[in-house]
Amino acid sequence: MANFLAQFHTIKNSSDHLVIAVEDVSDLWPIVKSEFEGRLPFKRASLNNKTRNSVSVENLTAEFILTTDSRLRSRFPLEQSLFWFREPYATVVLVTCEDLDEFRTILKPRLKLIVQNDEREWFIVFVSKAPPNNDQATKLAKKVYAKLEVEFSSKKRERCCKLDIQSPEANFWEDLESKIMESIRNTLDRRVQFYEDEIRKLSEQRLMPVWNFCNFFILKESLAFMFEMAHLFEDALREYDELELCYLETVNMTGKLRDFGGVDRGDDQAALLNPGSKPLTQIVQDDSFREFEFRQYLFSCQSKLLFKLKRAFEVASRGYSFIISFSKALALRESILPFCMREVWVITACLALINATASQYNDGPPDIEKEFYRLQGDLYSLCRVKFMRLAYLVGFGAEIERSPVNSALLSMLPWPKPAVWPLVPPDASSEVLVKEKIILQETPRVKHLGIQRKPLPLEPSLLLREANRRRASLSAGNMVEMFEGRPIFNDGSGSDASTKMSPSQKVRASSMSRTNSSPGGFESSIDRPMRLAEIYVAAEHALQHTISNTDLWKSLSSLEEYEKKYLELTKGAADNYHHSWWKRHGVVLDGEIAAVCFKHGNFDLAAKSYEKVCALYAGEGWQDLLAEVLPSLAECQKILNDQAGYLSSCVRLLSLDKGLFLTKEREAFQSEVLRLAHSEMKDPVPLDVSSLITFSGNPGPPLELCDGDPGTLSVTIWSGFPDDITLDSLSLTLMATYNGDEGVKALRCPSAIVLKPGRNIITLPLPPQKPGSYVLGVLTGQIGHLRFRSHSFSKGGPADSDDFMIYEKPTRPILKVFKPRALVDLTAAISSALLINEPQWVGIIVRPIDYSLKGAILHIDTGPGLKIEESHVIEMQSYVDLSQIAADMAKSDAAQKEGSLAVDKNFEQLRLHAGRIEFPNWANNVTSILWIPIRAISDGLARGSSSVSPLRQSIVDGMRTIALKLEFGVSHNQIFERTLAVHFTDPFQVSTRIADKCNDGTLLLQVMLQSEVKATLTINDAWLDLQDGFVHTTKGDGRPTSGFFPLVISPHSRAAILFSICLEMLNAEDEAKALRPESILNIKYGISGDRTTGAHPPVAVESPGPEGARQDLIFRSSLVLQRPVLDPCLAVGFLPLPSGGLRVGQLVSMEWRIERLKDFEENEVSKHNNEVLYEVGANSDNWMLAGRKRGHVSLSTKQGSRIVISILCMPLVAGYVRPPQLGLPEVDETNISCNPAGPHLVCVLPPALSSSFCIPA
Amino acid sequence: MATTACFIIVSRNDIPIYEAEVGSATKREDAAQLHQFILHAALDIVQDLAWTTSAMFLKAIDRFNDLVVSVYVTAGHTRLMLLHDSRNDDGIKSFFQEVHELYIKILLNPLYLPGSRITSSQFDTKVRALARKYL
Repeated sequence: MANFLAQFHTIKNSSDHLVIAVEDVSDLWPIVKSEFEGRLPFKRASLNNKTRNSVSVENLTAEFILTTDSRLRSRFPLEQSLFWFREPYATVVLVTCEDLDEFRTILKPRLKLIVQNDEREWFIVFVSKAPPNNDQATKLAKKVYAKLEVEFSSKKRERCCKLDIQSPEANFWEDLESKIMESIRNTLDRRVQFYEDEIRKLSEQRLMPVWNFCNFFILKESLAFMFEMAHLFEDALREYDELELCYLETVNMTGKLRDFGGVDRGDDQAALLNPGSKPLTQIVQDDSFREFEFRQYLFSCQSKLLFKLKRAFEVASRGYSFIISFSKALALRESILPFCMREVWVITACLALINATASQYNDGPPDIEKEFYRLQGDLYSLCRVKFMRLAYLVGFGAEIERSPVNSALLSMLPWPKPAVWPLVPPDASSEVLVKEKIILQETPRVKHLGIQRKPLPLEPSLLLREANRRRASLSAGNMVEMFEGRPIFNDGSGSDASTKMSPSQKVRASSMSRTNSSPGGFESSIDRPMRLAEIYVAAEHALQHTISNTDLWKSLSSLEEYEKKYLELTKGAADNYHHSWWKRHGVVLDGEIAAVCFKHGNFDLAAKSYEKVCALYAGEGWQDLLAEVLPSLAECQKILNDQAGYLSSCVRLLSLDKGLFLTKEREAFQSEVLRLAHSEMKDPVPLDVSSLITFSGNPGPPLELCDGDPGTLSVTIWSGFPDDITLDSLSLTLMATYNGDEGVKALRCPSAIVLKPGRNIITLPLPPQKPGSYVLGVLTGQIGHLRFRSHSFSKGGPADSDDFMIYEKPTRPILKVFKPRALVDLTAAISSALLINEPQWVGIIVRPIDYSLKGAILHIDTGPGLKIEESHVIEMQSYVDLSQIAADMAKSDAAQKEGSLAVDKNFEQLRLHAGRIEFPNWANNVTSILWIPIRAISDGLARGSSSVSPLRQSIVDGMRTIALKLEFGVSHNQIFERTLAVHFTDPFQVSTRIADKCNDGTLLLQVMLQSEVKATLTINDAWLDLQDGFVHTTKGDGRPTSGFFPLVISPHSRAAILFSICLEMLNAEDEAKALRPESILNIKYGISGDRTTGAHPPVAVESPGPEGARQDLIFRSSLVLQRPVLDPCLAVGFLPLPSGGLRVGQLVSMEWRIERLKDFEENEVSKHNNEVLYEVGANSDNWMLAGRKRGHVSLSTKQGSRIVISILCMPLVAGYVRPPQLGLPEVDETNISCNPAGPHLVCVLPPALSSSFCIPA
Repeated sequence: MATTACFIIVSRNDIPIYEAEVGSATKREDAAQLHQFILHAALDIVQDLAWTTSAMFLKAIDRFNDLVVSVYVTAGHTRLMLLHDSRNDDGIKSFFQEVHELYIKILLNPLYLPGSRITSSQFDTKVRALARKYL
């Protein structure tokens, strides 16, 4: 059967659609052909798939072929069964007949003959040619058709349909199509069944020696092909999949060693999408096929079907794994395949797959789309690796960027393993020289910024050694030993030896090569190791042999072409990875593009791409990888003169892990920063050094300051610079936590600072701040022209600050400024009055409230009527609040009592200098009391009063003020001002009354003394100097009996002294003298009191002497004694008010009657003796008066004359109020007798309820 | 024990917080970088795969020539990634599970800021011991 392979192949190639046979019985085909073929391809068809499920297919192509056609004739029966798939799937029998007899005699037997073959699916189309207007013909045709139906249609199956040429029925074509479909379906089912049976039969024999894969293949593919023709692509694909599985099993069966294939010219170009690249007959081998070609063939068939199914994604995904597995298969046969066949095949396969799938791919769902792009990226990436490997072999290795990605891809990829490494062709000595020259001219690529890190390897092992080993294995000795002895190959750098040799070694190498390249050297090359240049040339030649694709060869032929291709592949990979959201893959490849851009001087693009890569690595904190790329970025920025970028790159380099660079390198970075900072920059560049310079407040509680106080803030700064660095200026902002906008204050460091590497502590002066708590904000500073800032707090160490930056750090307040509060309190020590006109101690308690009064200065300014006794020192002593101690004592145990009471008493005498006192140091934190000697001055003489009309002395009279101003704080910035009021008073308040009036005219004058001070007064003596008109009854000075004295008066108690006096007869001249209008009471007294409670003995200018020497004080008070008036001359009576009572708002007339009680003789009022001045006074809040409040009324001087004064009043408030009062200003009060005698109250009712206020008129 | 193995813990922010070369092979000078590169690139795959399964152990997710990347994703999306050349799936799973427990203990330390580098030498010792035991 295998012999049919060629035939099968041609049949398969020639037919790709279903065939419908047309049995043209009545020569009708030419008439209906166009209409029949117009129905093709069938728009919708319903077929059964392999599992007999109904599947709807679209655009089913088919062809109508007459049975007389040569294509359907002359087939051998065996052929027919084998290639059954190409046989007609339906037979349409075209008939016409206009005569019943003709039908019966001719047509019917003929038809019976045609349809007797059961194998065929047939049906009859009766074509009626009768014109529609010809009833006769139409009827006849109908009759014939009816006959036909009776004959050929059965109940099970309609096998007839009628086409009216003149007027076709509307549903004829649908009917026809359904009939064709039915036939096709049935045929298909039958044939599938047939093939399946055959295949099963064959499968059962699989393990037998006679089994032939080719036969199996033909059957299987026939079935698949049939499915494909019927547009049942899924089933076809399944057949191919099964075929592939089966093939792989047979191929892997042990014991059957077969030719692999792949050695023909052009095999290097992958044919995985081109099923027809090689005829199957060429690849058949014994009973099977060559693996190399056949697997590609199977894949290409699968991919064709997948493309038809519009599943380009699946092609890509299957293709990728196919390439991988096939590449492995190639690797196993590497020794028999041409040099680098595997690499070349993978490259071409990837490119073919990429192109095919990319052009066929339509938008899919997002998930699939992502995957598709990922696969494309993978394919590009794979292709790129293999391409780089080839490029390396032909000597472009120096051009390949030694980046992590390239290194990872290439250095773990083993070298090709040909059986024998290719040999330099004999005529290539000139090429070798050229290559050698290139190698020698090559300067080892210097890393930027003087980084001395070893470049990453691109080769799994030294190519030189590998190639020679493969050659040497042929020759007698192993040449590798020769290289092993040379230390330079053992550095493990992976870079080719000659590119990295030191000059002296280079000379050695080149001298050696010169001897080796002497004429005739090549003949014996098998005996001596090849040099690198020779390896390159040999590889190039070998590759030229291998590569049949001119494009690919062109890409490897020159450096420019190589770069073009390299860039294309890299870009393809990067773009697709980006589309698939594999940003890491994509960005890394962007970095490779950047490297090429950089090499070509396209620094702008390079910088952009490098930035992306750096951002990726930096963002994810992969510092090792970042350390590889960042120097390149920095170099780009340096060339582009992007100072800001360059500086920030340098800073980032510095802030990487310390282990990643040598100290020397890091110092170089720093010097770069410094060089730029001190060079002339166009504009000062701001720079973020958050990762490099970090800062934090000192551990421990925050600095606490009172409002308005300056201070110094100590801050820890970590410097990540490898060396000391001088900062020209440095400032830190403080941010208030309560309000971010307002509270930003910059603290400047007063001078330049040198930061050591690591931890530094600096102190900053802190001007007074607003109240609140503050955190450190931003550190800014300047190095040369460079302004830098850092936002970063560091937690404990500087190293891994990057990690910590991710998290929101709870900011710790570094400074707390308290709200303004009382820091000190000044109060007077006593509340009770002091003696006036005597030098007295006034105590001022100075109480610091949790605040030091160090160096405080008190300004004392006394108010009017008060002066400081400057001759005397001021005393200061520590003050213990007794009440406080009492409270404490109650709480504390007896055992603690002594300790708590042991307050060390400080005492110091101070002098006043220009109104200022400086506080001693011991008073910084303890409450102290300041005793200031002062004297209140009052010129007036104390006045006594009568008990009838007691004269209340105004408290203001004895009030004096002391203005105090305390300057304190660190720089005397705090000022506390207070004005203290000190009350001064006389020791006594004197009041008098006539205690009794004796018949003999003696008056007993009682002088009451009220003690005004909180001190015990001792009266030693008292006497009264009487005014004119009074005399003491006893002839003396009116002293009471001395036996009464000393009279002790307790604080705030009273005492009284009686004096007996009598009136003195006055004569006119005495009266005229009027020497003494008032009496004087003299009291000689002593005082004993404590200055802490109030009045106390006056401050002695000298030190107080012994008890006896105590001087007595004299108190003088004036008393006014009045001679009694015996009879008043006027009487004023308040007339009764109306009985209805008073109401608010009601007018009432107040009346007073004035009556003269006796003749008015006094000459003092003689001027207008018949007129009296009156005045009505009332509280204007309570009363409204109408009428003359003040005026003269005439009143006769005769005794008994009377007059009534009335005035209209309106009470304004309800309640008991004092009524208006009538006064007579010109008449002495003693001459008026009033009724009622004293002040009285009247009742005022509230206003009557009235609604008139509410209702508008 | 595997000849080559590189173990990395990657925080949820994609930052490597712990790295260890736990292979028995003598360390190539540049290996750390290449291993890091491979593992970093594998994060792309993890990001796709992690959400497709509820299992923590994602098995081998990437292959790089002879090296395999196995990944274990914790509930907090911390990824334990191992680059290795051995094929001992069960051992790797046990290794991951035990390291996960160690990691949780680290997390429980109130002084450890989640997402910051793990500097505990005890953790390092234990991880290396586990690597010797399982890989």
